[in-house]
Amino acid sequence: MNNENEFTGADILLKALKDQEVDTIFGYPGGAVLPIYDAIFGQNFLKHVLVRQEAGAVHAAEGYARSSGKVGVLLVTSGPGVTNVVTGLTDALMDSIPIVCISGQVPSHLIGTDAFQECDTTGITRPCTKHNYLVKDVSKLSETIHEAFKIASSGRPGPVLIDIPKDIQFAKSKYISKKDISFREHRIKAGSKNVDKNFVKELVNHIKKSERPIFYVGGGCLNSGHQASQELIKLVNKTNIPITTTLHGLGCFPGEDKSSLGMLGMHGNYEANLAMNKCDLMINVGARFDDRVTGRLDAFSPDSIKFHIDIDQSSINKNVKVNFHTNTDITITLKEINAFIDSNNIDFGDKDYDNWWGQINEWRKKECLHYEQGDEVIKPQHAISRLYELTKQKDTFVTTEVGQHQMWAAQYYKFSKPNRWITSGGLGTMGFGMPAAVGAQMANPDSLVIDIAGEASFLMNIQEIATAVQYKLPIKIFILNNEYMGMVRQWQELLHGSRYSESYVDALPDFKKLAESFNAVGVRAKNISELDDTINEMISIDRPVIADIWVDKKENCFPMIPSGAAHHEMLLSKYDKENPENQEKGKVLV
Amino acid sequence: MSSTSVYPTPINAFKQSKRSVLSVIVDNEPGILARIVGLFSGRGYNIEALNVTVVDVKKNLSRITIETLGEEKVISQIIAQLEKLVPVHSATNLANLSESYEAEICLVKIEFENEEQDQKILNFADIYRSRTVQKRQNFVVYEISGTSERINKFLDDLDTIGGIKVELVRSGPIGLGI
Repeated sequence: MNNENEFTGADILLKALKDQEVDTIFGYPGGAVLPIYDAIFGQNFLKHVLVRQEAGAVHAAEGYARSSGKVGVLLVTSGPGVTNVVTGLTDALMDSIPIVCISGQVPSHLIGTDAFQECDTTGITRPCTKHNYLVKDVSKLSETIHEAFKIASSGRPGPVLIDIPKDIQFAKSKYISKKDISFREHRIKAGSKNVDKNFVKELVNHIKKSERPIFYVGGGCLNSGHQASQELIKLVNKTNIPITTTLHGLGCFPGEDKSSLGMLGMHGNYEANLAMNKCDLMINVGARFDDRVTGRLDAFSPDSIKFHIDIDQSSINKNVKVNFHTNTDITITLKEINAFIDSNNIDFGDKDYDNWWGQINEWRKKECLHYEQGDEVIKPQHAISRLYELTKQKDTFVTTEVGQHQMWAAQYYKFSKPNRWITSGGLGTMGFGMPAAVGAQMANPDSLVIDIAGEASFLMNIQEIATAVQYKLPIKIFILNNEYMGMVRQWQELLHGSRYSESYVDALPDFKKLAESFNAVGVRAKNISELDDTINEMISIDRPVIADIWVDKKENCFPMIPSGAAHHEMLLSKYDKENPENQEKGKVLV
Repeated sequence: MSSTSVYPTPINAFKQSKRSVLSVIVDNEPGILARIVGLFSGRGYNIEALNVTVVDVKKNLSRITIETLGEEKVISQIIAQLEKLVPVHSATNLANLSESYEAEICLVKIEFENEEQDQKILNFADIYRSRTVQKRQNFVVYEISGTSERINKFLDDLDTIGGIKVELVRSGPIGLGI
């Protein structure tokens, strides 16, 4: 008996995706998801992007989510299909990126029999997702999908996986639409909705009293939405307090603004790290006191009163004990702070923190990002600076791989808007940037999307260049080619007596020819005289481009706080060698 | 005034690992125990004892009691991490409540060889108000309940009797905040 109101599991999935306003899905077919691919074949609301390996799908979904603020969605098959996305799921969990991964599973009656392409998907992905499901009953499918989207995007966002056995994709049931589902609040973990008035009052009082305040802003501000960044700009302008951001916070506040001290942390600016070390009031907006930011914990900002706004309760007092905290969303909290200041006519005009800014400007004179560009070999810092100058008029999205090029990009490329900077911070996933650029270009078809890459990282997911070509995505891959795993080489130089064990990448391909063989375009700059022309050519071509930029092979990334050192124990350049005492302690850390 | 130590004491020695009993209410769904156990092993926390049972069939709720060791800061972090798990309704450190009760149950089989041993066993069983589950010629099975500490003491006392063989099972502590 056929009931008109009943649909197959595969159709229910498609209906739910439409209901969730998903228009793009990244995926790779296989035996256990064929019914879903069959359903995709007969529809036109959903654009499927065929990647070349599942790792590409998950990073593309991350790039899509980060650049659009929406949930990224991917579809993979059972067994190897899903084990290939484990890295990307972990990456999304560490960096709080909302994605939903649909995976196929062997039919229910074969689960547990070591069937072909079977693996314990929920078991493997449990520690690397915010939540996951194995759907055993098709009548629960609609509800599960809607809850998955809600969980992925609520509170501190993250990856959610739904494992659907093949027989469930064929089985029939009613479809329940999003509006007919009532979520159980305890499962959504959306954080507190109420403004903590006391927190706001204490914060404003402390701002009034403080002499050396600083804003320390992280990726949480980005996840709270564009309005959070607007409120933050208002608050900084009102108070004249200096602001530093984490790697993921870049873009939440205009990088070229006079109040911005740039990025802090291991490769952060001298003035930002010193200001964190010497401040008397620290206002943490959605950052998590990561070890790359704090340096040695017992010497981290010893004299400050600390305020922390974070929607994730477990981020509070985890690494650093704070004096005041609130679990309410950043937008709501910042709005309330601004409103409180306005309604009480609090004027910070007479409190310009002149001494504090004077001190900061002294630190700025160190010019910690200074480098010497000669007339021949391209300095990697210069390559990024020129890329920024030649693209800053456009609304550019930048993704990166992981390593020295990533830190140089963070230091020398300035972001003025949120969601334009897409990088793998927490997990540090080499091979992230190119598929992420595919995702960002899908979400922003008319924008310039550049993957700032190293040649070693680029080789890790190089297959995705074919995806970019197939879908005519004009992404630009800007390779700082130094023939080394640069950051590994740098650590070996500084901490392991220049013993460059296995960090030289021999037998590199000719990236220009490689681009051509993929039907992309290859360009190259071998020395400084070719740099600007190469960048301009790259931008002007409306196709995927690989730009092979030959840079100084031995350049190191500074400033640097070696592992185990404190903020004020920063190395500023290669002439500023660290003391050997620290070296031994630092060696055991990552 | 306290005397000065002849040797300096490392500060870390005073970082006290305290025993805590956590009470966690969860949706009774597949994988929930794995999530909790995985959280503990993945983040390097200890589980000293664990107890799980459905407590509300209609609402499909289970109560999990976990005995763990750690500094206060670690315990707060464990609670925050537990509360992040989707199926978790609440996680409470019973020590933080003004009133809570705790009990554990232990079944113990004691094999003995002579009358003297039997008498001693009977004596301890009486002091600790153990219930006799079964008694045969050469062994006895008791049920004893109370705090874990009480059961530990009973077992320590039994240990003073030479030549007997003890086999036992413990439920781990369960607790209820009032």
